[in-house]
Amino acid sequence: MPSTFPYRKAAGLVLCWSAMAHAASAVGEVALFEAKIRPLLIEQCQKCHGEKKQENGLRLDSKAGWQKGGDHGAVIKPGDVENSLLIKAVRRTDKELQMPPKHVLETEEIAALEQWVRMGAPDPREGNAVSNVVDVVAARKHWAFQPVAHPQPPTLAGNAQQPLDRFVLAKLQQQGLQPNGPADRRTLIRRATFDLTGLPPTPTEIDAFLHDTSPNAFGHLVDRLLASSAYGERWGRHWLDVARYADTAGDGADYPVREAIKYRDWVINAVNADQPFDQFIREQIAGDILAVQGPPEQYASRVTATGFLAIGKRYGYKPSPDYQHLDFADAIDSVGRSLLGLSLGCARCHDHKYDPVTAADYYALYGIFQSTKWAFPGGEEQKRPSQFPPLVMPAEAARLDKIKAAELERLEASLSRLKQQRGALDSKSIAGGPDLDFEAQTIGKRPGAPWFSAGPINVITEAQSPFSHVHPAGTRGVRIGSGKANDGLRYVFASGLRATPGKQMNFTIDFRTVAPADKTGAYRFYLGRGVIQSLAVVVSVTATEIALRNGTKWEVIRKLTPGTWNTLRLTLDPAKKTYSGFVGILGDLTTFQNKPLGAQWDGVIDTFICDAIGHINGQAPERDLDNIGLQEAAFGEPGSGPIVVSAAPPPNLTQQLKKLDADIAAATKLRDAEVTKDLYPVAYGVSEDKPVNVRIQLRGEPDKLGDEVPRRLIDVLGGDKLPASETGSGRLELAHWLTRPSNPLTARVFVNRVWQWHFGQGLVTTPSDFGLRGEPPSHPELLDWLTSEFIASGWSMKSLHRLIMRSQTYQFASEDNTANLKMDPANRWLWRHARSPLDAESIRDAMLAVSGRLDRAVPTSHPFPPVQSWSFTIHKPFHEVYDSDHRSVYLMLQRNRRHPFLAMFDAADPNLSVPQRVLTTTPTQTLYLMNSPFVHQQAEAFARRLLDTPADDEEKVRVAYEMAHGRVPSDPEIQDALSFLSAYQQKLAGLAKPPERSAELAWAGLAHVLLTSNAFLYVD
Amino acid sequence: MNSISKPTRREFLHRASGGFGALALAGLWDEVQAAAADPLAPRKGHFPAKADRVIFLYSTGGVSHVDTFDHKPQLTRDHGKSITASRWLNKPGKFDRFLIKSRWAFKPYGQSGIMVSDLFPHVGSVIDDICVLNAMHCDSDGHDKATLAAHTGSAQSTRPSAGAWISYGLGTENRNLPSFMVLAPAAPYAGAQTWGSDFLPACHQGTHVVPGKEPLPNLKPNAPDTELQAMELAFLGKLNRNHLEQRAADQALDARIRSFETAFGMQREAPEAFDLSGESDATLKLYGLTRGATSGFGWQCLVARRLAERGVRFLELIDVGSSANWDSHGNMADHERLAKAIDQPIAGLLTDLKQRGMLERTLVVWTSEFGRTPFHQQANHLGREHHNLCFSSWMAGGGVQGGLVHGQSDEHGILPAEDTVHTHDLHATMLHLLGLDHERLTYRYAGRDFRLTDIAGEVVHPIIA
Repeated sequence: MPSTFPYRKAAGLVLCWSAMAHAASAVGEVALFEAKIRPLLIEQCQKCHGEKKQENGLRLDSKAGWQKGGDHGAVIKPGDVENSLLIKAVRRTDKELQMPPKHVLETEEIAALEQWVRMGAPDPREGNAVSNVVDVVAARKHWAFQPVAHPQPPTLAGNAQQPLDRFVLAKLQQQGLQPNGPADRRTLIRRATFDLTGLPPTPTEIDAFLHDTSPNAFGHLVDRLLASSAYGERWGRHWLDVARYADTAGDGADYPVREAIKYRDWVINAVNADQPFDQFIREQIAGDILAVQGPPEQYASRVTATGFLAIGKRYGYKPSPDYQHLDFADAIDSVGRSLLGLSLGCARCHDHKYDPVTAADYYALYGIFQSTKWAFPGGEEQKRPSQFPPLVMPAEAARLDKIKAAELERLEASLSRLKQQRGALDSKSIAGGPDLDFEAQTIGKRPGAPWFSAGPINVITEAQSPFSHVHPAGTRGVRIGSGKANDGLRYVFASGLRATPGKQMNFTIDFRTVAPADKTGAYRFYLGRGVIQSLAVVVSVTATEIALRNGTKWEVIRKLTPGTWNTLRLTLDPAKKTYSGFVGILGDLTTFQNKPLGAQWDGVIDTFICDAIGHINGQAPERDLDNIGLQEAAFGEPGSGPIVVSAAPPPNLTQQLKKLDADIAAATKLRDAEVTKDLYPVAYGVSEDKPVNVRIQLRGEPDKLGDEVPRRLIDVLGGDKLPASETGSGRLELAHWLTRPSNPLTARVFVNRVWQWHFGQGLVTTPSDFGLRGEPPSHPELLDWLTSEFIASGWSMKSLHRLIMRSQTYQFASEDNTANLKMDPANRWLWRHARSPLDAESIRDAMLAVSGRLDRAVPTSHPFPPVQSWSFTIHKPFHEVYDSDHRSVYLMLQRNRRHPFLAMFDAADPNLSVPQRVLTTTPTQTLYLMNSPFVHQQAEAFARRLLDTPADDEEKVRVAYEMAHGRVPSDPEIQDALSFLSAYQQKLAGLAKPPERSAELAWAGLAHVLLTSNAFLYVD
Repeated sequence: MNSISKPTRREFLHRASGGFGALALAGLWDEVQAAAADPLAPRKGHFPAKADRVIFLYSTGGVSHVDTFDHKPQLTRDHGKSITASRWLNKPGKFDRFLIKSRWAFKPYGQSGIMVSDLFPHVGSVIDDICVLNAMHCDSDGHDKATLAAHTGSAQSTRPSAGAWISYGLGTENRNLPSFMVLAPAAPYAGAQTWGSDFLPACHQGTHVVPGKEPLPNLKPNAPDTELQAMELAFLGKLNRNHLEQRAADQALDARIRSFETAFGMQREAPEAFDLSGESDATLKLYGLTRGATSGFGWQCLVARRLAERGVRFLELIDVGSSANWDSHGNMADHERLAKAIDQPIAGLLTDLKQRGMLERTLVVWTSEFGRTPFHQQANHLGREHHNLCFSSWMAGGGVQGGLVHGQSDEHGILPAEDTVHTHDLHATMLHLLGLDHERLTYRYAGRDFRLTDIAGEVVHPIIA
């Protein structure tokens, strides 16, 4: 609340203004504005409707602002107080529109505003309703939007350096920095091996490299590493950071996604195969469309590639348009940041404030994704995955689908035949059994099993219905005496009905309100699955009327006479989601047609309830019920019958029924197995849907719609529209637009990422932001030169690695240089190769590698529970941590509850596209290094490995250092280690209970030290 | 003044040196330089703070406001009457609903006479230290999103948690313990995202402490003997120092070396913090704890006080996870069990903090993701549904005026009537009390300066003492 409010003190003034309003002169008008209106707008409105913020798109800091208005249109109609939204808002007559949001304006303030509007809203504040639309034309001049050039490397005196080095050395000279000399070979092989594979070099590999005397020894090393499968596991993981990869869906219940690993493996394989990066992108955006174009053997892998779009954090409980805008927000933001280095996400709610990206751009892309069908991973309401694209060709999928449908139909038919046979044989199956066993109940008692009851309730002869068109005429019915809401009667049908195509469901009941009825409340009949778990129909009855539930409203369909028996019939049509029927007495039936079934009903009816929660509040009257029935076949009409049960059952009835029951059970099992059978492999990806354009969602809210925008590329990259002939979503065009050579961003952004993954920081240090707020490149010419070389090589990532790693720049030593450190502490000018910490995966993999326990096989699945058992909800979400000795890239990554080790060591958070890991040093990490069972297991395994080495202790120490640190220890270091070992063993011997394996424990102690030391955790 | 001892870095080094001798070469490090490179080094806020730390009490599932802190006699009088709500579960429209009274009686408590229901008699007894906010509101009616909003200010995208922002803004006083700790038997909705650091450096993320015998993993030395561990660490120190000699300018290497000291300190100090054996019977009784207990909300509250004493910046206490919580759709009777579990511990915590002179500089906040509907689709229904349009939270200590009710709902507790406080406002106020301007505490990510309060939030000045 503002503490000073000079104009509030002058409240009395308002009356004066009101009094003189009829004689308002131009001067008076402006005076009113200046005295009351301007301060009022400033104090009360402009914080949210001014220069900084434009809630609802509205600005009130200029005349043009309110003239233009906001999302609801112009807010002031000069002269028309009653129709000005501004006045409506401050009067707070509309619950949806109340301003200011936190408090009511003083009466005098409202009066002043009314007065001002009545005067015609004179407003001297000229100037534009400044919109924040970025000037696209001006923004096009930004460096990152310029075409990629192919600059000549600078000429430097005397040296025959590679072009890359000449760009770097020229800058170093300009800055007066002296580059480091080359790193030694041991450093180089450790650097290159971790860099390309995420694993340490073995002593054998080190030895081979040290003894390779050829001039291109390092080139050979790089080639060997690029050819190893570990390369794809390492560099594929880099891409998975950007692609926000996880093995679960991410909404509250965090459903597992069994097929996610197919995308992960696709990435690893594509990287290993050096798939051209433009094609790598195209397949991830539109692989499903490219797949159709062939060749057939690439069909599955291309469809799998679209996992890039599906793999983000997903929202929603079921496949529903309600949350799509959030899924699309993730997809658009990820495409923007990961491929283009642009924050497209901001444009969801408004034109971007800094980058030339408009809301229209955003919703143009949104239309493309709206025209796409997304695999649904499973969620709280629909607990099973659906719409996963098949990995077989459409014709084959259709053929298999057809076979399955036919097989299902056959199984259903045989099942229903068996049920019919059983029904014919067993008279009890008529409409759920004659009179639902009322006739077996004891007169004068509450109904017993299979009924459930609560409150005063009795089986009595007076409650026998006169109708006999459904069940044989009987001798008793049930009287419910309680009028309390939750008292009543429940019946669970032994064989409930499930919505079956082409079949109806029929329900019948006879009822009367016991006269005279002094209680005016309603009782109701509920029909559905379980106790109000899934509601199909509700009917509400009072002594004098009967009503049907129609959506959120009750519809009274007939007046009733108390004391009179009525019969009610409901015929449900699950396909149409409606029901029809009639209610009344013989000769006077009221029919009703096509009433909506419960919107959330899941298609199962197995429960009938009569309680007292109906359309009229209050105590419900006493009522009698009889002749309840439920079946697929139609019932007889009232007045037909009477139904008679044959007196003598066949002699071997029990055996026949037993056999039929067994057959039914077997047939049901077969049917259920067929339903869940996987016909063909599927992927977690996308496919084509009905193409549509969408309307702009004002402020990102899907129910506040603006103009429709055609699907197209964002304006600053050309704004290309889909060809008129296009009949698809537009993703294929998008894929081509993103990767066409004239696109200045895609290749540049990726080359910069590769540079960053090699050197620790990019030439552009904001790798996912090449926009106006991003950092400019330190070496713009080098970035362009590399990018053009990359494109010229056919977008080959492996060529790019060779280009970079064979340079002197890559091979600089990492050592300190005091003078350089002073001038360029962050190594922006690349005078050395920066030392880097191992990331989470490398720490774990390197420990496993050194201990000898690393399992290099590629696991084919995660041990998720079987899909049939999935019932995760936000209350009981999926949560598992699966241990393994495989490489860390294969660990199961949960989105909502992250893998404890990976989270602790700053692995990528899969909720976001992660351009760069921010590696921290925390005491909890160190506790893990000191005390965790995992690290100790590796230390012990490493110790056993060393003890198994046929060598003396000195040699063992040498091997240990070389395996863990890639270097040979000096003699004093060896002596230190040996004295540590002997002191350790001595200490062990001095323990109260000296352990048996003291040598192993001592070596494990040494191994533990080596595996947690900085020489292990950092790469020079 | 409070009784918290803040070990200086030098003191702590001195203490640590007893542990593994040679490693703690205090002279090796330039403290100023180290602090500059250390994202957790204590920092001053934007202006003088009224509070040094936060204890954030979170009740999962949506606590009914009209059954706890928002007394609505008119709701009782109009019980069973039908009304037409203009919004329900965030959807506009006309919804015919029946008003449902609270089944719990309300009584005035303390000097202030603030009405509190029989669910919270103990909290009622300390009401004069509490400022009740009865016109809270947030934007989401789903647990997942509203829980994220209450913690991160954003319902839709994952963002850093308030605790992470505060750790980022102020650093921490005791490097033997994490700056942001979450004491919770289970994660609430949205899982660990509720205490994540998202784009902020990961050292600011909440460390999850699970009540039980081993509240923090890896605290127990795995070496056969602590002296052997000390030997290993001494040898490791020597290796690392040799390694550092050729790389002296690298602060990251130095930071890792120091982290071993911290971890070694934590190995000792954290179990100490979790060990309640030194607490008097009277103290245990205050929290409703039986001696030897290692779980329950009383344990969480008492451990929180001990961690607060040791300089932890932000403590979050969550009572229950995403199931069997306050989400009483079926029967409000659940509230009784849940309130009983936290009522005395919370009152005990406030009393204990006060008697130790710590309450003044400790901001205690209690909230849930939203409230519950004062009405139901069915007359006489026993449960209540989600209600984000109006609910209750409270704050105590740390510069907040006690014995005050700020904000009022309408006669039935359906909509806020005056002095509304949005979740963003609550966050802005928390930061303000800690000396941080919520509009200036920003982090550049994806081309934008992000804030805890997004583009909203106003400090609730009237409640500040």
